Amino acid sequence: MNSLTDSGALYDRLIVDRARTPLHAGRLEQADAQGEGKNPLCGDKTRVDVQMADTHISQIRHQTRGCAICLAAADLMAERVTGLTVPQAQDLSRRFSAMLVNEPASTPDTNTNTPALGPLEAFAPLRAHRARIRCAELPWVALKEALSHVDV
Amino acid sequence: MSMASTQDKVRQDLDVAAIRQQFPILSQKVHDRPLVFLDSAASAQKPEAVIEAMAHTMRCQYANIHRGLYWMSERTTEAYEAVRDQVARFLNAHSREEIVFTRNSTEAINLVAHSFGALLKPGQAVVISEMEHHANLIPWQMLRDRAGIELRVAPITDAGDIDLDALQGLLADGKVALVAMTHMSNVLGTVTPAKTIADMAHAAGAQVLFDGSQSVVHRKTDVQALGADFYTFTGHKLYGPTGIGVLWARKELLEAMPPFMGGGDMISTVTFEKSTWANVPHKFEAGTPAIIETIGLGAAISWVEAIGFEAIGAHEAALTVHALTRLADVPGLKIVGQPKERGGVISFTMDDVHPHDIATLLDRNGIAVRAGHHCAEPLMRRLGLTATARASFGIYTLPEEIDTLADTLVRIRNFFV
Repeated sequence: MNSLTDSGALYDRLIVDRARTPLHAGRLEQADAQGEGKNPLCGDKTRVDVQMADTHISQIRHQTRGCAICLAAADLMAERVTGLTVPQAQDLSRRFSAMLVNEPASTPDTNTNTPALGPLEAFAPLRAHRARIRCAELPWVALKEALSHVDV
Repeated sequence: MSMASTQDKVRQDLDVAAIRQQFPILSQKVHDRPLVFLDSAASAQKPEAVIEAMAHTMRCQYANIHRGLYWMSERTTEAYEAVRDQVARFLNAHSREEIVFTRNSTEAINLVAHSFGALLKPGQAVVISEMEHHANLIPWQMLRDRAGIELRVAPITDAGDIDLDALQGLLADGKVALVAMTHMSNVLGTVTPAKTIADMAHAAGAQVLFDGSQSVVHRKTDVQALGADFYTFTGHKLYGPTGIGVLWARKELLEAMPPFMGGGDMISTVTFEKSTWANVPHKFEAGTPAIIETIGLGAAISWVEAIGFEAIGAHEAALTVHALTRLADVPGLKIVGQPKERGGVISFTMDDVHPHDIATLLDRNGIAVRAGHHCAEPLMRRLGLTATARASFGIYTLPEEIDTLADTLVRIRNFFV
């Protein structure tokens, strides 16, 4: 199958697996905040439920209808931001976007001690697919909206 | 038919190899693979004849038109106006005065919605269909909201044909002033029964407009035989440049309609108190037009006519049969729509694989297709889909390219499912 996807490596195994079998899909009955992202160009849609424990995000679930990139982005986002504070999640979001548009490697904000992008780096090859960047960013749009409703 | 026999059938109709040599872009590589361009319904590639005609104009024979009193302007005006004659013949219009140059088909429909729309009264209705491109939907919605007319939507059948009985019902109260419909769907490939629709519209006292953006590319268009009142198409799908489209309308209609845009070239006399309009078609062509693109369109029409619609139609029909045969063998692939008459446009879905993922992975293999809602969101909703992938064919499409598409789709499905 390498010949199908080589050179771009966009459809990393992790991305395909998470699109097929998401680990953080669903709803949270006790959500503290919700956010939605819609892409009118392709009809993709994601809804993010966030639960807070004090100043930290304790749980995230997403309901996503979309392409493999969008589904996996939502799932890996949920995984990565769980346990972070709101400023840390916002910083991670900025660095994720910067990675997609190929800005010089932006370092974590030392004030927030945000962890590294980690598995989110699987989306780096999207740089070469500008039309698809919005697919990976859609869940982050929903998260941004959800976090704007959180009082911390 | 077997795969080999449908391939052979394609070969008989046209010397595709010779045609492909006239398209410099087709020898490009994409991601180190030969380009397989299956998105001609979005915009077709351009032959040397078109590129050269435009370059020649800019190099050797260019000035503004209609006003220059010098040799170069007169020659350019002649070249520009000669295309109007050419388009009139191409559509079998009654006269050259019926040809209005626009920016594209979208602008042509907006012109009709604005200027013919200005003649409509509240309570009158416009009928479109469920499978219109947004270009033949939004201008009518805007007119409805501005002028208080009613917008009616003729349903399609599950197969993707216009429901003619339902259309008849929408026409019954005699309030319909215009039926505006696609002549060939950009999503389903459906070729609509234009003559029948025109007869139904006229019997109900309505005018009829056909959006010919897709269909003019594939078949001889005769606006008189179709019984059309308005007909629109765009240059860039017809192997011509972007930025040039055509509105054909019966002269009486154009004369009765107020101008669309105001400015230079569309006037007769101008004072601060009052201005009068130029005769048709110039009344509808404000400002310096797309001179170079118009000349490019003329070259594209000459090029297409030299090949002939008989050969083009046969080639594309054979390609479509070959594609339907090959795609039917791809596991999990569903072709969207089974219209009675279809052009070289095939939309499909493949299990749960999102059309955008299909398109991106095809692209990695050099294959260009369209994926999304194809500017026809209400149709997608009617079909219960959010998006499809779409392969569309042109004069230069090879049966082997369709084989490459089908083989790659099988691999993509194996990758995801």
